[in-house]
Amino acid sequence: MAETDISTLPFERAIEELESIVKKLEEGKVPLEESVAIYERGELLKKRCEELLAQAEARVEKITLGANGKPGGTEPLDVD
Amino acid sequence: MTTLLITHPSSLNHLTPPGHPERPDRIRALDKVWAHDDFQGLLREQAPMADLDTVALCHPMSYIESIRDNAPKEGLVGLDNDTVMSPGTFEAALRCIGGATRAIDDVVAKKADNAFCAMRPPGHHAETATPMGFCIFNSAAIAARYAQKKHGIDRVALVDFDVHHGNGSQEIFWRDPTVMYCSTHQMPLYPGTGAASERGEHDTIVNAPLRPGDGGKEFRHAVETVILPRLTAFQPDLLLISAGFDAHERDPLANLNLVEDDFAWVTRKLMEIADKRAGGRIISLLEGGYDLRGLMGSAAAHVGTLMRG
Repeated sequence: MAETDISTLPFERAIEELESIVKKLEEGKVPLEESVAIYERGELLKKRCEELLAQAEARVEKITLGANGKPGGTEPLDVD
Repeated sequence: MTTLLITHPSSLNHLTPPGHPERPDRIRALDKVWAHDDFQGLLREQAPMADLDTVALCHPMSYIESIRDNAPKEGLVGLDNDTVMSPGTFEAALRCIGGATRAIDDVVAKKADNAFCAMRPPGHHAETATPMGFCIFNSAAIAARYAQKKHGIDRVALVDFDVHHGNGSQEIFWRDPTVMYCSTHQMPLYPGTGAASERGEHDTIVNAPLRPGDGGKEFRHAVETVILPRLTAFQPDLLLISAGFDAHERDPLANLNLVEDDFAWVTRKLMEIADKRAGGRIISLLEGGYDLRGLMGSAAAHVGTLMRG
């Protein structure tokens, strides 16, 4: 599990792995020796998810509506 | 103040695989501490072997015998993902218990005011019939029951500041109104138990979980607001400590940031509690602590405080 590079993970994969880590930690199914490493990977996955969410949120904010009420596309984040 | 230090060379004969954090070097590191001038005032004894009936105060005889029969003639045998036995493990574990009960005898007989048992394997994860988390027998829990049975002590408090929750101690005392178990520990972390909502059948389990990254400020706040008031109200006749030093900032197995001063502080606070009704009687048992420098400094702060107040 620890081999995958977190910085390249898509949101779905990151959240899925994060959920499985939380479940394992809550159920106490992680060996003592690995517990902290797994927790720390969970922290990195959480950061990755937050980062991807923030990017998506910024994009949504930039969606402009055309005169016909339909989305007219997105604007680059640095326009404002 | 007379502080008794109990050790035994058998602690070096409980072997774990290469790279395992719970290793004989922990005891070798602590032996360097006890050799220092500051600790020459310690009263010292070697731990006797506990008899199996004493172990049976908390564990069924069938479990004790199966552990004994599991011991390898050579090499290592795994009991779970973390916990292994070597040929010397059974004796080492029995001496951890024998050391704890000897400490109780000596403190009750006023040969010492308090005591520290610097031995391994640790015990607080061991449940009634389950070895886990480097632990085989729950020495602290057995010590509590022994004090009650042998010396007629009514109310025992067991305070556990190891960074991992003592699920075994909690399980053993869950239905026991005569023993209060209090723990500070990191959550989330192994073994997953220890939420504040876990209070025992008689509200004598007191859990104060800390968040990863928390340090002395949060630890002291939890001890002062959650644990000390409950201990004061419980009025223990004897205080036991499951003294793990893995909440130290250097420890590789957790993410709390305690320093030596925090361990001295909590020791002083627990001594104040013990002074109120328990005649100052404290018996402290080594649990975790896997960074050797952090372990040495923290144990020195803890035992130094027991010696000097």
